[in-house]
Amino acid sequence: MFLLIPILLPVLAGVLVLAMPVLHRRTALRWFSGCVFVAELALVLIAIFSGGMATPALYLGDNLALMLSLDGMGKLFIGLVACIFTVVGFYAFSYLTHEEREWQFIGFYLLTEGALMLVGSAGSLVTFYMGYKIMTLVSLPLVLHERTPEAIAAAKKYLYYSSFGAFCGLFGIFVLTPMLTSVGFTPGGSLGGEVDGLTLTAVFIMLLGFGVKAGLFPLHGWLPTAHPVAPAPASAVLSGVITKAGVLGVIRTIYYTVGPDAIRGSWVQWVYITLICITIVMGSAMALREDGLKKRLAYSTVSQVSYILLGLAILNEQGLTGAVSHIVFHSVIKDALFMIAGIMIVKTGCTKVSELTAMGRKMPATIWCWVIVSLGLVGIPPMSGFVSKWQLMVGSMESGMGVFSYLAPAALIVSALLTAGYLLPLGLRGFFCGSGVKTEDLEPDGLMLTPVILLAGATVWLGIAPGGLLDLGRSIAAMVF
Amino acid sequence: MSVEMRQTMLFFLVFWPVFGAFVSWLADMVSARLRDNTVTAVVVVEFAVMVGMLTGFYQDGTVISGSMASFGGWGLNLEMDGSRAVYGTVAALMWLGTGLFGREYFASHYKSLGRYNFFYLLTLGATMGVFLGSDLFTVFIFFEIMSFTSYTWVVHDETPGAMRAGQTYLAVAIFGGMAMLFGLALLYITAGTLALDELYSAVSQIPEKGKVWTAGLLILIGFGAKAGMFPLHIWLPKAHPVAPAPASALLSGILTKSGIFGVIAVTVNIFRYNPAWGNMLLVLGAVTMFGGALLALFSVNFKRVLACSSMSQIGFILIGVGLLAVLGEENMLAARGTVLHMMNHSLFKLLLFMVAGVIYMNTHKLNLNELKGWGRGKPLLMVLYLSGALGIGGIPLFSGYISKTLLHEGIVEYASLAAGQGGFTGWITLLEWVFLLTGGMTLAYMAKLFTVLFIDRPQQTHPTAKEKKRLEKGIRKRYMSPLSVVTLSVAALILPVFGILPGFTMDKLADLTAPFFRAETAGDIAYFSLNNLKGSLISILFGVVIYVAAMRLLVRKTADGQREYLDCWPAWLDLEDSVYRPLHGKVLLPLLGAVCGFCDKLADRGIGLMNRAIFREKSRDYWMEKGPTAEKLRKKLRIRHEQILASSLSFGLLLCAAGMVATLLYLLYWR
Repeated sequence: MFLLIPILLPVLAGVLVLAMPVLHRRTALRWFSGCVFVAELALVLIAIFSGGMATPALYLGDNLALMLSLDGMGKLFIGLVACIFTVVGFYAFSYLTHEEREWQFIGFYLLTEGALMLVGSAGSLVTFYMGYKIMTLVSLPLVLHERTPEAIAAAKKYLYYSSFGAFCGLFGIFVLTPMLTSVGFTPGGSLGGEVDGLTLTAVFIMLLGFGVKAGLFPLHGWLPTAHPVAPAPASAVLSGVITKAGVLGVIRTIYYTVGPDAIRGSWVQWVYITLICITIVMGSAMALREDGLKKRLAYSTVSQVSYILLGLAILNEQGLTGAVSHIVFHSVIKDALFMIAGIMIVKTGCTKVSELTAMGRKMPATIWCWVIVSLGLVGIPPMSGFVSKWQLMVGSMESGMGVFSYLAPAALIVSALLTAGYLLPLGLRGFFCGSGVKTEDLEPDGLMLTPVILLAGATVWLGIAPGGLLDLGRSIAAMVF
Repeated sequence: MSVEMRQTMLFFLVFWPVFGAFVSWLADMVSARLRDNTVTAVVVVEFAVMVGMLTGFYQDGTVISGSMASFGGWGLNLEMDGSRAVYGTVAALMWLGTGLFGREYFASHYKSLGRYNFFYLLTLGATMGVFLGSDLFTVFIFFEIMSFTSYTWVVHDETPGAMRAGQTYLAVAIFGGMAMLFGLALLYITAGTLALDELYSAVSQIPEKGKVWTAGLLILIGFGAKAGMFPLHIWLPKAHPVAPAPASALLSGILTKSGIFGVIAVTVNIFRYNPAWGNMLLVLGAVTMFGGALLALFSVNFKRVLACSSMSQIGFILIGVGLLAVLGEENMLAARGTVLHMMNHSLFKLLLFMVAGVIYMNTHKLNLNELKGWGRGKPLLMVLYLSGALGIGGIPLFSGYISKTLLHEGIVEYASLAAGQGGFTGWITLLEWVFLLTGGMTLAYMAKLFTVLFIDRPQQTHPTAKEKKRLEKGIRKRYMSPLSVVTLSVAALILPVFGILPGFTMDKLADLTAPFFRAETAGDIAYFSLNNLKGSLISILFGVVIYVAAMRLLVRKTADGQREYLDCWPAWLDLEDSVYRPLHGKVLLPLLGAVCGFCDKLADRGIGLMNRAIFREKSRDYWMEKGPTAEKLRKKLRIRHEQILASSLSFGLLLCAAGMVATLLYLLYWR
């Protein structure tokens, strides 16, 4: 039952923050929620390292059960969520001084963290679906925090797209549940009997549905709309973590419900990989064309999360390892990028890349971090993105998927070239901007800068010593294949 | 150094400069002097350790290897054999030379030196990693780091020209790197290993040669781009002139060699004795060699001439690499020529770019028309320049003669080999003549620079009052500091020593590298025999003719009898500006953008379409949808906006559905 605590703590704290006017004052809010973030991180670490946790199943019907259990994938996910939410949370304290109603944002932020904990530690599809749906609803106020007409329109789009995706997932659950031999997630899947056309269709619809959250073409449209209007910390967790909930849905579907063998070589795999390859190239190409800084990063997320989906769809050990490590790398990198984007927007008031000139002179430490994490996202060694890219390329070449064995790595390479094109110029022009440019010191305060530096450091460190993460990925892969 | 000591110092060579880079960064915050001393100390220690490695290897011949298994998930594997010891020493020497010279060069007018020195040392570590890597994965990791850290050199001046050159440099580097990554993944999947020592046996067992070739070509793109191989040479003539002179020396002298090193590694391990691969390299090398020399002849910027000359010399080396493959097991001469020309070219360009640096730090000009006669009355500068120029021109008694002779021998040998096998030898004869002709062109453009610096009369200048006073008093401004004089003199002295005593110096070094080339060690060679001198003589004759022609065609006499050097290379012949940039900016990107833009909006458009279809008004009202007339009509008919719902298709559908339900109910229960 210990698993309930990390889920309930942020939820309770979030409700308190929303309900008690005492906590609406800035100092009280910061101390209270700061303590909650740290306590939550500690609880999650305990949950991760004590191992073998599960709650008894609560049966809703014959084969519908609510249950929590923590396997390797779940540990990785809740660990990632707790780390990212803590880091971004402290950044948000400073960022939100530029916004109204800080308490409201922090309140829903905590609720979102709780929902993500539920998503991560869910032990059955129904539990997962419940957490998934709650997560969508409580993260909605983060998107419409500014309450401008654009923000409300964007939040509606986010809601509709996500709901559509979730209902697709629900459809799959309805169809698949009677065919499963076990109520909880089973590594390698627990599909009993023949794999017929209906099963495959249901799996495809599920994958497509969870793909909506992960920004999979053609239903990626909410990402570039929602990110630019949301506050930077919201964009950071939306892009860095909440998209990964969709990825987790795909992992739970393929590897823990139907099993990789059920869809290997079927039309589901081909169509899914085609969509993924299109997304990878399209996201990067659109990012290159886009001038709005946060919208550019949103398109970048569209492309990068599909790297992870690619690793999942090629259905071999290398690919899964690459995907698992890229979940972490992309979260770290994209959160850093969004936080830096937030800093630049708050400090200069400019939202367009073309307006942000000579930034390296104005905020050297921040832009150093930008360059480092950008190189990570392009996949330049020794930054972390390279490790996963190599795994994904080798994995897809090994997979024996015919033409896709080479098409998918080619898409990765094209996307990497485009990524270099849309991320690097901002950083490089920022430093090499010619003498005689008037500059002022815009370096942000420590509360905003430290999280960014931490994540940039993590990008380098994970690139140099990814051993533990790769081992975790391999152990997950060894379980499911 | 003993074997154990070398074992422990192997990783030190790579990580010491990285550590030094951070120390120099901290030192920069204290004072400029401390930073410069730190940098000097770092490069001196690096050079000393490297020399220790070389002498140690020379004495006991033990190959050292080490690995760091946890790094980057795959591990770093370094190895110190003869060729790596030789080339590591050359690299350390290059950094030592430019580091010592840079102290004076940068002191005058440069800003952001903390940044420059940080990346200067970081690049040293990465370059060492490239040369010491014993598998292609390690080489690739350091190669990428090197590409990015050296970018900061190119754009150091932050002028628009430098930024544009930097853009080109980075674009080519990233493109090459990504192509190489694809190739490496493919090679790894096909051969199962990336370790250089295992590749040959692994590759020879693979039946699918197509995959190996694809992988090989992609890797060649990566290494060739850095080496400056045609048609990926475009960054080279742009980047060298804009970078600070010590950085140009490194870019040209050693970074291009890291690319060549990779090409050699691929050639001798994957395509060992493969004539098709060799012939391809021969053709590419010949184009690079001739094109570079032609560009150099036409250039009117001092450093651009040197840059294009680098490209041309890289072509010479590539021909050597091609010969390695086509000559099969008889390739010891080619192997020796290749490694010696690599080493020689590094040393030439170290010296010549430092000479260019001396000129630039005194005049701040590089255009030949503005430098006329600047070297008159500076005998030391003339000696330094001549040592480099005669060396690169392949004049007997200078080191370049030795390596060019060896390469020439290799071509002749290939011709006789092909003739012996009854193959078509016409194009090999052509290659030989192009080789000799390009040797002549090398001499011609170096002579052109000599004419500019030391023979032409300076332009009439109007000295300022202060300068007049100095001239009257007979005070001559010192144009080099003592440290620079020593540095340049040592760099200049190596070349004739190597050239006069090849048997004691160059041959010994070359023999150390033979195992890397998978070649036999060649015995003593009579470099100064009549037969070998003949080739050089032909080149010199070509050189004289070309020089005279160039001075007629590319130079105009002005009214007062002055020479004016014309920039008559047609602009549309620039591969970058007339092909790559338009292709990238006007064709590829818009095309990709259009397709992806369509995909991007697909779902939103679909939703919009459904909206319009379901909420569309019935056809009677359709014509009223937009426009001012429609608005007026709406007002007149008092159709409120909300009423549209009642008149839309979906309303109709709803009614239809209700009717069907009613019918169904009737059928089920009442009938």
